[in-house]
Order: sequence, then C-alpha cells, then structure tokens
Amino acid sequence: MTRDSLAVVTRDHAYHVISEDYSYKTEAYYTILEHELAGEDIRPSSRSVLDAFVVPICLERAKLAGVPVMEWGISQAYVPLPAILYGLNYFATASDFFVVQDNEQAKDVVKHITNKGKYPFCYQKLGDGATIHTCTAVFGQTTGSCAAIGGYAAMIYDLFHIPLVSMVFVRSGKEFALSSLAPTRYTHLTHKERSLLAAYRKGQEFL
Amino acid sequence: MSRLGIFVDRKTLSNAEQLGALIHCRDVAEGMGHNVDFLFPVDINKIPKMDALFIRARTDPMNITYVAARMADFHGIPVIDDSDSIQICGDKINMYSHLIKKDVALPKTVFLSKNDLSVERVSQLFDTLGTPLIVKEPSTSFSLRVEKVTDIAGFFRVARRFIKMSDWIVVQQFVESTYDWRVGVLGGELLYVCKYTIPSVTFKIQASVNGHIVYCGVESVPADAVPPHVIQLGIDAANAIGNGLYGVDIKNSNGDARVIEVNDNPSLESGEDAHYPKVYERIVSHLFAA
Repeated sequence: MTRDSLAVVTRDHAYHVISEDYSYKTEAYYTILEHELAGEDIRPSSRSVLDAFVVPICLERAKLAGVPVMEWGISQAYVPLPAILYGLNYFATASDFFVVQDNEQAKDVVKHITNKGKYPFCYQKLGDGATIHTCTAVFGQTTGSCAAIGGYAAMIYDLFHIPLVSMVFVRSGKEFALSSLAPTRYTHLTHKERSLLAAYRKGQEFL
Repeated sequence: MSRLGIFVDRKTLSNAEQLGALIHCRDVAEGMGHNVDFLFPVDINKIPKMDALFIRARTDPMNITYVAARMADFHGIPVIDDSDSIQICGDKINMYSHLIKKDVALPKTVFLSKNDLSVERVSQLFDTLGTPLIVKEPSTSFSLRVEKVTDIAGFFRVARRFIKMSDWIVVQQFVESTYDWRVGVLGGELLYVCKYTIPSVTFKIQASVNGHIVYCGVESVPADAVPPHVIQLGIDAANAIGNGLYGVDIKNSNGDARVIEVNDNPSLESGEDAHYPKVYERIVSHLFAA
C-alpha cells in the first residue's frame, strides 16, 4: 500500500479499514464514521481509534482488559524521574514520546509538549533498568523479536480492532507493560509484516 | 452525602464570569445536600471517587476533558458532557451527519474531502449552495475557523488553510441574520433560551475585528416569548445528538428556522439563564438521577 492510502476489506461480515493513520479528522476516521452512520459493522470504530491514541484512555481500557500497563499520571509541570512523557492536547500525537532522565531535560520537554504550560501532559515513571520496545501488530499478530509480546498484541487487537498499530512497551526485568499505541507508516513495516498485511488483505485461510 | 466533581482547567478559572458561574453552581449543589469538589487535570485519578461529574472546560476529543469523560464512563459515573456528546459535537462533520440522519432542518450542507478539492467541484458548490458560502473547519468553536467566501479563489485560500487541520471540511449555504437563538436543552427538555445578537461588524458570534475581539450580545428570553417552532427545533436537534446538556444555535430567517450548530458544554456564564433561575438545580438533579 502507498503512503496515505487506505483500504476497506470485508472479513467475518464486517468491514475493516486498513490505514497508516486513524487519527481524528483523517480520511480514515471519516471513512469509519460514514460506515457507522450508515449502521454498518466497521472496525475499528471511531470510538476505538479515539481511545487508542489518547494515552491515558488507551492505558485505562487496556488495564481493564487485563493487559499490563504503565502507571500514569497527569501533570502541568511536575515529572518523577526518569519518565516517559506524552503531550495531551489537540496537536499531540501518541507517536511522539519523550524519555527524560534529569530535571533540565524534563524542563525543556515539558515546555515543548505543553506549549509553554498551556496544556497538561501524561507521565509514566520508569523503573531502574527499564527499556523501551516498539513493536508493530498487523491484525493483532507480531513477527520476529516482538513475539514476546504477541499475546498482548492479540488482546490489544481484540480491544481496539486496529489492523495496523505501533505498540510501545516498557520492559522491566522479564515483565512488559504497555506505554502507548500509535499509528504506523507502511514504510516502517518489515518484509514479514508486509507479507502478513498482504495475506490479511487477500483473506488467506490461515487467518 | 453524594459527591459532585466539577472538572475545570486553568483557562476556565481565568475568566471572572466563568468563575462566578462555577461558584454559583457549587453553592446550588451544596444547597441540595451534595459535596462539591473542583477537579483539575492533575486530579483526574480522583474521578472514580465521585458520584457524578460536571465538565466545565473547553471540550474536545483530543484534550483532557475527553479523558475525564471516558474515566467517568469506565467507572459508571454519570457525566455531563458525556464522551459521545464530546465526540459528536466536537466535530461538525459528525454533528451535522447526526442532524441530517434525523431530518433536522439546517442550511444546505456539504462535506468536502481534501481529495475532492478542485475548481470544478468548488464551482459546482457555488452553483448549488449560492454565494456567499460558509466554510468551516470541523473542530471550530466560538466561530474560530469559520469563514465567509464569495469566490473560488477565496474558497481555495480558506480551504487550504483548514485542510491542514482536517481531511474533510464543511461547506454551507449562508443564512443572514442579526441574531441567533440559543436553545438550552437538558435530557431532551427545554432548559433555557437566549438570543445571541451578532455584532454589526461581523457575521459571527465572536470575531477579531481590527485586532480587537468583538463579542455577541446575550439576552435571556422567557420561553413564552420564543416562537414554539424554534424551541421544538432546538429539542429535536439536541435529541439527535444525545440525552445530555446542549446549546442549540438556530437562525430563524423569515420564520424558516434552521439549526446552525449543536454545542455540548454550552456557556452559562454570560446571563443566558437570567430568566431561568433553576438551571443549575436541574443540571445537578439530572446528574444524580442518572
């Protein structure tokens, strides 16, 4: 698929919208909305894409569904260190996260993501030795080194039904916790992920 | 004793009129026997401890108010504005689609995708909707990103600016009027009516003119002085969205009433309710009856 293109496929008597970006007010979002208003079964729903890409809502829903998630808080200035920070406003996207280690760095990032204090932001405290891992899920399936969180990817798909999504996890020891979900560019897909996507589009039987 | 959370942000509190209205709301709720807590964005994790939530900050699916509304959903707490209303009213494509689906009267309205933006299409819009046209970016509020255009070049100037913010935009027939009716509706019932008088220097209820912000005049109007078809249209429009609190803007040009928009989180701080002293009492009762 080419940049910004979207496809609507029918599987299990439901429409599935495949897109790089399901964000609010995009072509994909309005395509979903049109189907919903026509009373059709469309996945993901407009509610799901809003929920998935607003970090605190995503984590609250995932937690209620049994996915381990990062503890989060909302702040206007204070940041426990070290931490991952996400903007929480009209211009922020979940793809942009910032890891801050010290006060000076945190001050600069907070100034940036709050538009000089205008908006609140979401923080997640990182434990000692925590590492950040980004994986892509295609219809809830992962490939390669992301197999370790494959079970969570399937749970996240069952929850939000987003065909193509980038998942940010924080690993502490052997444990993984979800930090956020974000849109994925087709160009960022590996060869295996592209094959998986192509197979889903063609409706191959192993699905 | 039940706990009512009133969700506010620093912008809400920076306005003296809004602050006065919030204190009045708190006094009314306390007078009804409830405890009231003002909740700020940093207090969002306290929402599960509330029995009801009243959001009084600018709502949008992309900001903290939507997080607050969804937190209330997750914990089964009645909330105004509910997340569905925020999602629908925050996006004029979604809002007008709901009104069209329920056959609510509105000016001729077309949604234009960035992929359909061509001279031929725009020319066709002028032919079918007339001149001038109103172009809206879907997330507009307080008349921001609403422009009147009179020719194709002007249309493209505005549309290109708006399409940076949304893949679809709204194009509407222009309806001239010197004032808008604002019909306040709560749970499908009339709550208040007022008139917003449009400043003579603009066609919007709020605009920047020569670097100065000009605001509409607000006049509360008793229900028996309002044309009944305007009230009914307001209620029908609100019901097309949901069962919450809405402010429906209506232009009644030569008796032909049409809905301009339905707002969640309607303003209540500028005297809209002067003839309706029980507005806050009804809102609090509605929340705790849910």
